[in-house]
Amino acid sequence: MAEVQVAGVSRSFGATKALDDVSIAFPDGGFYGLLGPSGSGKTTLLRMVAGFDFPDSGSIVIGGEGVERVPVEKRRIGMVFQNYALFPNMSVADNVAFGLSVRGEAKADIAREVQRALDLVQLGKLGARRPHQLSGGQRQRVALARAIVTKPRVLLLDEPLSALDKALRVDMQVELKRIQREVGITTIFVTHDQEEALTMADRIGILRDGRLVQEGPPEEIYDRPQSEFAATFLGDANILRGEATESGIRLADGTAIAATAGPKAGPGGKASCAVRPERIRIVSAADAAPSDGNMLRGRVSKRIFAGNSSTYFVDRSGETVKVLVRNDGSRKLSEGQDVVLCWSVESTILIQGL
Amino acid sequence: MALTRVLEWLGRIYIWLLLAFLYLPIVIMALMSFNVSPFYQLPFEWTTRWYVALMGNDQLITATWNSIRIAVITTLISTVLGTAASLALYRYEFRGKKFLQALLFPPIAIPWLITGTAMLIFFFAIGIGRGLHAILLGHVALALPYVIVVVSARLQTFAPELEEAARSLGANQWQVTRRVTLPWIMPGVIAGGLFAFAVSFDQFVVSYFLSTPGQTTLPVEIYAAIRKGFTPEINAVSTVIIVVSMALMLLTARYFKFGGEK
Amino acid sequence: MAGQVGPGSRSGLRSAAPLLLPAYLWLTVAIFLPLSAMVFFSFMTDLPLSGKPWSFTLGNYATFFSQGLYATLLLASLRLGLEVTLWCVVIGYPAAYVLAKVLKGRSREAIFLLVILPFWSNGLVRIFSWAMVLREGGILDSVLNAVLPFRISIDLMYSYPAVIIGLVHSYVPYMVLTCFLTIQAIDDSLIEAGRSLGASRLQILKRVIIPLSMPGLIAGSALIFVPVVGSFMEPRILGGRTGTFYGTVIEDQFVAVFNWPLGAALSFILLAVVLIILAAVSPVLRRAA
Repeated sequence: MAEVQVAGVSRSFGATKALDDVSIAFPDGGFYGLLGPSGSGKTTLLRMVAGFDFPDSGSIVIGGEGVERVPVEKRRIGMVFQNYALFPNMSVADNVAFGLSVRGEAKADIAREVQRALDLVQLGKLGARRPHQLSGGQRQRVALARAIVTKPRVLLLDEPLSALDKALRVDMQVELKRIQREVGITTIFVTHDQEEALTMADRIGILRDGRLVQEGPPEEIYDRPQSEFAATFLGDANILRGEATESGIRLADGTAIAATAGPKAGPGGKASCAVRPERIRIVSAADAAPSDGNMLRGRVSKRIFAGNSSTYFVDRSGETVKVLVRNDGSRKLSEGQDVVLCWSVESTILIQGL
Repeated sequence: MALTRVLEWLGRIYIWLLLAFLYLPIVIMALMSFNVSPFYQLPFEWTTRWYVALMGNDQLITATWNSIRIAVITTLISTVLGTAASLALYRYEFRGKKFLQALLFPPIAIPWLITGTAMLIFFFAIGIGRGLHAILLGHVALALPYVIVVVSARLQTFAPELEEAARSLGANQWQVTRRVTLPWIMPGVIAGGLFAFAVSFDQFVVSYFLSTPGQTTLPVEIYAAIRKGFTPEINAVSTVIIVVSMALMLLTARYFKFGGEK
Repeated sequence: MAGQVGPGSRSGLRSAAPLLLPAYLWLTVAIFLPLSAMVFFSFMTDLPLSGKPWSFTLGNYATFFSQGLYATLLLASLRLGLEVTLWCVVIGYPAAYVLAKVLKGRSREAIFLLVILPFWSNGLVRIFSWAMVLREGGILDSVLNAVLPFRISIDLMYSYPAVIIGLVHSYVPYMVLTCFLTIQAIDDSLIEAGRSLGASRLQILKRVIIPLSMPGLIAGSALIFVPVVGSFMEPRILGGRTGTFYGTVIEDQFVAVFNWPLGAALSFILLAVVLIILAAVSPVLRRAA
């Protein structure tokens, strides 16, 4: 295992800039998630760390060694492809053994390592099967075993769970995390699914249009997004825009919103803040009691029932605020009802830019 | 990576060498057909006299005309019969369907020497004998499997819901075929037709065994002339048919493209 | 995929029959009946309608086994088929690989078309064009003499190599086509996976690409071997006196010697060999399809 660093990496394809001066330090032994919409450059970056592509400028360092010009065969990485890329003409065991056998290792050693890797991913008895005889989840685990059996310095996962159905995905998230922790290889995975990133990663890097927007531990990004994009891409957020004041912002209709989190801009000038839907309390206007914290009035325009939770869409001043409540038995609010929204000052996050 | 680049260029050079191997003899033959020397000797001196002589060669002209006529009729018959059979195989399920589909392979897979001589024997035995009618009989049989394969491939891309929708609107089977199915598969039918024309026009072996003096096709005449000794008019007429065949193939490729699959 | 199905399989057949009948009737009369007739007649001494007295006999087949000549020629034809097929693999497979994996986009389509095009032109004429190149005083001769300092005489005409060259030229596009289709179907991510596991180019070729392109190689080989074994036109034109093969002997029975029953017997033996080969190969092809 080793530390991986990319510094100042840029890559253009024709007129499109796929990566723009991206720098990330991937901690040794950590589970790092690259998150972003399609076209954000996350896959390009992953393939660059793998060695299928080379940066136009910048450096890539694996374990202290600069590898920008080293081809993939020599980088000692392990990669799991989105569609698994298992060799259809070989058995599961031969697939897993491939990386070891091209190195010329002894047959007995290979067999032992292969069995150990298959046991690790809980497919110990399926060595003789062929890929087409396996389910999607099993194929993914074979791909994983194949990648880690060679003890690579870095493990790279390209949208590892996107081909699986929902129930399996949740299980595999836990599995992947367990295996990674047991093996301890520096792991980088790419996904567009923010829930996946939140669940599995130790650290997340959000990419957009080739630029690194924010990076850090998931909870940190979730509680302190530094941009509207980060706030709405990782989790859901209500964005309130207005003029900056000393204590927060003032909305267009004069309402003052107080915030403690996030950087304060000087008074005057535009500012915005984010509030997570689950942090807002919603009560009917008739039952409202005064409270400290921020408060807004509005009218329920829609209610979506989702089993254990409900989402209210509340209209005020032409804008919609989303509120997420647990269905804990308290009185439900109906469409058209006047309501009062309140949330704590600490839950209000000032945001710098877009 | 440098090595990859070098290997790729070597690969490209190899392809061009292969193309040279494939086309050189044809180009040389075409050039020689414009050469004065009747023995294909250099130096090269331009002339069109062999093409002129070709015009006056009644035997070759008759054979060419026979080839064209037979190819056209073969195309018409095999396209109609083949498209009908393809539609049946596409639409219906029945016992023995796999067997019928398998039956399409022998005509293509068995060497034409065997089929041709078998036809000769059989036609003689039942009184059909040899001649242009026998040749036509043989050509259609050889072209049919190709037409069926091509049209069936095109039918694979046809959504069955379209036929079902038409029928739910009240159209009977014939109307559905004419107004919904046929328009869609037309590129496949045309491609199949071009295939059939090429199969018939270029056919040598079967025509060879089924022809009689006076009722031959062009390839058979060319073969006879070659066996007797070279004459430059053969060169000229060969160049002509090579050009025609390739032009036809280009047309077919175009229609295949519009048909969606390669 | 298939459209409507009747309440019972018989109803399907009833609707399908009028569409199927014309084509299959034609095939029966022109191909299946003649093939059966050929088998039938191979057991006769003379043809029934030839006016001569005829009877059933195994004599024709006996001739094949008693006269070593026919067996020798059959072996020569089989060997010819093998050599031509091997050359087509050696020449055609790399070309297919370049087309499938190295070239991309418009240029690939254009070059693919160029490779396939001669394949659809007249086979006889293509063989004839080689005659022009290979004979003494022909183009190859003249060009080589113009280039080389010493005088040599290339007369490849009427020789075994000439037959091989002509046949390879005619059939190599088959191999390029079938191999191209299978190689193209190999997902690029498989090659990338191999590279990510540290395999060299050669190792990936040997352990991933070639095994996965086997169906194409086998299909192409079958498509080439079978016709070549039965060929007579190419050996006659390019081989001259050395161009005697099983196919030419069969041709002789029908156009020169007029011993049709013997020709039928020899044909049937060839057919049996061909069918055995095709039967051996078809499970591989069906699995790939």
